[in-house]
Amino acid sequence: MNKRTGARLPATLNDLFQLAMMLTMAAILTAAMVLQYDGGEIPCPLCLLQRVAMFGVCFGIIMHFRHGYSARNDGTGMLFALLLMMVSVRQSLLDIYPRPGHSYIGSAVLGLHMPVWSVVIAMAILAAFAIKFAILGDEHLRDRPPSPALGRLAKLVSLYVIVVCLINLGSVILQCGVDACHTSGYRLLGGS
Amino acid sequence: MTIAGRGAPKMMLVVFATLSLALLAAYCGPRWLAIVAMLACLALSTGLFLFEIYSPEYGFRMPWLQVELDAVPQVWSRGDPA
Repeated sequence: MNKRTGARLPATLNDLFQLAMMLTMAAILTAAMVLQYDGGEIPCPLCLLQRVAMFGVCFGIIMHFRHGYSARNDGTGMLFALLLMMVSVRQSLLDIYPRPGHSYIGSAVLGLHMPVWSVVIAMAILAAFAIKFAILGDEHLRDRPPSPALGRLAKLVSLYVIVVCLINLGSVILQCGVDACHTSGYRLLGGS
Repeated sequence: MTIAGRGAPKMMLVVFATLSLALLAAYCGPRWLAIVAMLACLALSTGLFLFEIYSPEYGFRMPWLQVELDAVPQVWSRGDPA
């Protein structure tokens, strides 16, 4: 392996890592939308905040593919993973003990409800970043633009994530209007 | 008491609006706008999260999670004269 290829490899692996993470986030957010629109499971306020945190993780990745590597982008992603962890742990603890008005919202997937899955996802994101830093470091990643092929693919996935976010914005307008969000129905469609 | 009864948070719409602006700016807008919008989104999200979990009755406590035992079990160590 020559020196040039050796220096390029960490950057390519980092691009692959970022793209895989954005694809995973896009898949999870799409699944949440399918459960919402097809399954009729209207998201609670904390569920919506968990989606915000997942979009926040994607934000760091979009910035990476547009402006090149910066530890700040990874830091932003980890910050939102931490937010996801905080919100989902609290929601799991809110609903963990059955009492009036408090039960897990939505259906279970593989036996775990959505906030518990969010805890798992947040842990996986933080673990993935930690492993990436441990293996790749960041000294070979600086001042290297993303590879063109992965960059083009990432642009498409970024666009998809933005479209999903705009759909969620529209959905929040329908569900909450300019008031508090409730899971009883879509406020602007005649729900309570 | 419901959240609406405590003065409804109208921030969810603003949170998603700033989030959308941040993602759009990250994709095709100026970098400073993306960062400012995302910082605003993070701050609003954190504020809304704290608002949502606060209860006038319990504060931020979660009294339904009891980790103390109702009665101390009577367990003596070996050699205890009692």
